[in-house]
Amino acid sequence: MTALLDVDEVVRTFGAVRAVDGASFAVEEQSITGLIGPNGAGKSTLFATIAGSLKPNSGRIVFAGSRIDRRPAYRVARAGVVRTYQAARVLTRMTVLDNLLIASAGHPGERLTGLLLRPRAARAHERHTLERAQELLALVRLESHAHDYAGTLSGGQRKLLDLARILMLEPSLVLLDEPIAGVSPALRVELLEHILAVRRDRSITFLIVEHDLDFVMQAADRVVVMNEGRVITVGTPDEVRTNEQVVDAYLGTAH
Amino acid sequence: MFLQLVANGLVTGSVYAIAAVGVSLVYGILRLVNFAYGDMMAFGALIAFGVDGPLHQSMVVATLAGMGATAALALTLDFVLWKPLRVRRAGFMSLFLASIGLALVLRQALLLAAGSQPRTYNVNPYRVFVLGGVRLSEQQLIAIATAAATIVAVGLFLALTTVGRVLRAMADDRALAAVAGIDVGRATRLAWLISGLLAGLAGVLAALVEYSFDPNFGFELLLPVFAAVVLGGIGSAYGALAGGLALGIAQEVSTWSGFAGGVNPVYKPVVAFAVLAVALMLRPQGFFGQARVG
Amino acid sequence: MNILASGGFWAFVGVVAGIYTILALGLQVQFGFAGLLNFGQVAFMAIAAYTMAILVVKEGWSMWLAAPLAIVAAGVGGLVLGLSSLRLRADYFAIVTIAFSEIIRYVATNETSLTGGSQGTIALGPIGTASQYNGEWSRFEGRVQHALGFSSSDATMLVIVWAVAVALLASTWLALRTPWGRVLRAIRDDEDAAASLGKNTFAYKVQALALGAALAGIAGLFYAWEFSFFSPDDFAPLLTFFAWMILLLGGLGRVWAVPVGAGVFGFIFAGTRFLNFAPFSWFGSDQRAYLRLIIVGLIIIVLVLVRPQGLLGNKREMVLE
Repeated sequence: MTALLDVDEVVRTFGAVRAVDGASFAVEEQSITGLIGPNGAGKSTLFATIAGSLKPNSGRIVFAGSRIDRRPAYRVARAGVVRTYQAARVLTRMTVLDNLLIASAGHPGERLTGLLLRPRAARAHERHTLERAQELLALVRLESHAHDYAGTLSGGQRKLLDLARILMLEPSLVLLDEPIAGVSPALRVELLEHILAVRRDRSITFLIVEHDLDFVMQAADRVVVMNEGRVITVGTPDEVRTNEQVVDAYLGTAH
Repeated sequence: MFLQLVANGLVTGSVYAIAAVGVSLVYGILRLVNFAYGDMMAFGALIAFGVDGPLHQSMVVATLAGMGATAALALTLDFVLWKPLRVRRAGFMSLFLASIGLALVLRQALLLAAGSQPRTYNVNPYRVFVLGGVRLSEQQLIAIATAAATIVAVGLFLALTTVGRVLRAMADDRALAAVAGIDVGRATRLAWLISGLLAGLAGVLAALVEYSFDPNFGFELLLPVFAAVVLGGIGSAYGALAGGLALGIAQEVSTWSGFAGGVNPVYKPVVAFAVLAVALMLRPQGFFGQARVG
Repeated sequence: MNILASGGFWAFVGVVAGIYTILALGLQVQFGFAGLLNFGQVAFMAIAAYTMAILVVKEGWSMWLAAPLAIVAAGVGGLVLGLSSLRLRADYFAIVTIAFSEIIRYVATNETSLTGGSQGTIALGPIGTASQYNGEWSRFEGRVQHALGFSSSDATMLVIVWAVAVALLASTWLALRTPWGRVLRAIRDDEDAAASLGKNTFAYKVQALALGAALAGIAGLFYAWEFSFFSPDDFAPLLTFFAWMILLLGGLGRVWAVPVGAGVFGFIFAGTRFLNFAPFSWFGSDQRAYLRLIIVGLIIIVLVLVRPQGLLGNKREMVLE
C-alpha cells in the first residue's frame, strides 16, 4: 500500500519552543492511523500544520504525491485533506441543513462567475447537493433537525453533524482531532462504527489524535507515538502498548 | 532645515506617544479600541482652558485640572458604559460601535456646552529658544519635556511597580490573570485612570502646541494616534511610545525638500496613514504586537 | 411655520432615507453578511460622486456613461482596499478603513484642480458650468415627472430613489439566497471553519467589500443628483456612522431591515430639525444640530447595550457579539 500522507522532518517552533521537532511518519491509504503521545508532545501542532493552519518552519508534507506544506488551509482542504476540531466547529448561526450544503465541493453556484455564466449547472449542482445532504442527515439520524439552527444541537449531535459534513466533502484523508472527547459511551460506540463503516465503504483514510488510549487501540490499524515533538515509534496497537519507550514517555521518565 | 523638521516631529510625536500609550493601556486590558479617546483629549484641553482663562490659574494648574477632569470622565464612562457592556459579555465589535457612539455624544456635547469657536491658552507664543540651529517655541519645548518625563514615568511604572506588572500581565492574558487572583476590577479602573490622565495631558499639550483649538480637534488627532498604536502593535505600551514618536517624526520629515521636493504639508496626515499601511504590509501584527485578536 | 405638514419636507426626508438605505445596504452586505468592519463606507460615495461629476463637467461625457463608470470606480475602490487590507486582523482593518476614507476626503479637498477642492463642485468648471452634471439628470427627472403626472420634483425623486432602492434590496436578498451567499454567511459565522471546508475566504471577503462599495457608489450618485452640489466635507465619517446606526436600528444581517432602519433614522434626523416645541425650542438652531447628533450617538450606544439585534433582527442569527 502506498503512503497517502508523508510527513518528513517537520519542524514548527513558537519562539523558543520547538513544538514539533523533526517529526516523520507515513500514513497508509485506507488505514486508520492513531496519533498518540503525552500532553505537550506536539500532536495538535502537527495536526494544524498538516491541515495548513500553520506553516512548518522546515520539513515537507506530501499528500497523494504533492507537497501541501506551503498551501493555505483552504487549498489543503480542497486537495482532499479535511480536519475536524475538538469542539465540533459547526456553524451555529446557520441551519443544520445549511451546514451540510456548504460542505459541497466545486459548486459553480458558490462563485459569482458561476452564478452569472452557468446558472443551469449551478442549479443542477445544488439539487444534487441537497440530495446528498439529506442522505447523510439520515445516516447520522439528524433529519428531524434539518431546519434547526446548528447552535441548538447538543455536543454529541454536533459531532455527528461534523461527521456528516466531512462525508459531504468526499475527502481522501480525514484528520480527526479528539473525536470522542467529552462524548457519552453510547455515542462513542456509534462514532467508532461510523468511522469503520466510512473507511470500508468510502475508502477514506483516517488520522486520529486521541487521548483515550482504549479507543485508539480499538480503532486504529497502526499507531504513531510522539513525545517532545518527535516520533518515537510506530507500530500496531499491540506492539505500541508493550513498547518500553512509550510507557516511559507516558510515565514521564523519558527525555 | 532637516533638523528643524526632526525637532518638530519630536514635538508632534511626543503628543502622539502619550495618547497612544493611553489608548494601548485600555486596549490591552479591555480589548476596547476607544474611538472616543480624541474627544476625551479635547475635553481635557477645554477644561484646562476653563481653568486657565476665566479662572486665571497658571498653565500648570490648568493642565492638572484638565488631566484630573479627564480621568474622572474616564472612570465615570467605565462605570456607566463599559462595565455594563462587559457584564453583557460584549464582543470586540460591539465595543467598537459603542465607542463610536460615545465619540459622537462627547464631541457634540462639548460643542453644545462650549461652542465651536477656537480658543487659545494664556501663553506667549513668541518666546522662542534656539538650540543648535533648531528653533522651538516655549510651548513646543514644554511639550517635549513633559512628554519625555511622562514617558519615563509611565515606563518605570509599568516595569517596576507591582501594579504595573499586573497591567502588563493582564494585557497578555486576561483570563489567566483573573485566575491568578489579580483583582481585575481594580486593575481595570486603574487602567482607565491612567488612560484618562494621559488623555488630558495629551489634549492640553496638543492644544498648546497648535496654539488655537476647537472641540473638533480631538478627532483629527485620533487617527494618527491610532496609527501609532497599530504601528507599535496594539496592546503594547512600549510599542505605542515608539510608534508615536516614529510617526510624528516621519510626518514632519516627509515634507523635507530633500525628498524630491517633499510632501505637500497639507498631506501630512496622509503620510501618517501611508507609513501605517506600509508597516502593516511588512509586519501585519505591528512591530510589538501579536498576530491575532486576543 | 408648520413645516411638518409640508409634503415637500416629507418627500425630502423620504429621499434622504432612500439614499441612506442604499448606503446602509452596502454596509449590510459587508458587515451583516460577510462580517467586515468597514468604517470608511462614505469614501465610496465620494469616489462615485466625484468620478461622475468630473467626467461630465470636465471631460464632457454624457451622464449616462459617466454614472455606470462611477459605480464601477467605487467598486474598484473597494477592491483596492480589500486586496490590500483584508488580510489584516479585524481591528486593524477597521482602523485602516477609516484612514482610507479620510485619505479620500483629503485628496478631494486638496487636489483643487481635479475636484474643485474644498469649495466643492462649484469650482469644477468655469462659473455657471459646474451644475452641468445635474443638467442631464434634471431633464431625465422632468421626463419621469411628466410621465407620472406629478406636480413636484421632490415627489419624482422620491419615486426614482426608492424604485432603485427596492430593486437593489431585492437583488441583494436574492443573491444571499444563492450558494454564494451561503458561503458569505458561513464566513461571517466562523471564518476558520469555512476555510477548513475548502472556501477561499479572502476572495469572498474582497467580493463583499467591492459589492458593498459599489452600492455606496450608487448612493453617492443619488446624493449628487439630489443636492446638485457637493464638497468634500459632505463625505465625512459621520455619514458612515449614520449608516452603522441604521444597520443597528433595523437589524444586522437582514436585508429588509435596512429600509426600516433608514426610515426611522430619517425621521429622527430630519424630523428633529423642525421641532419647535420645548425642550427643543430652548436651543438655537446651531445647538439643535449638536443635540441631534448627541441623540444619534446615544441611540447607537443604547442599541448596542440593549438590543444589539436591532428592531427586526433575529437573536439566534445575531451577528454582533
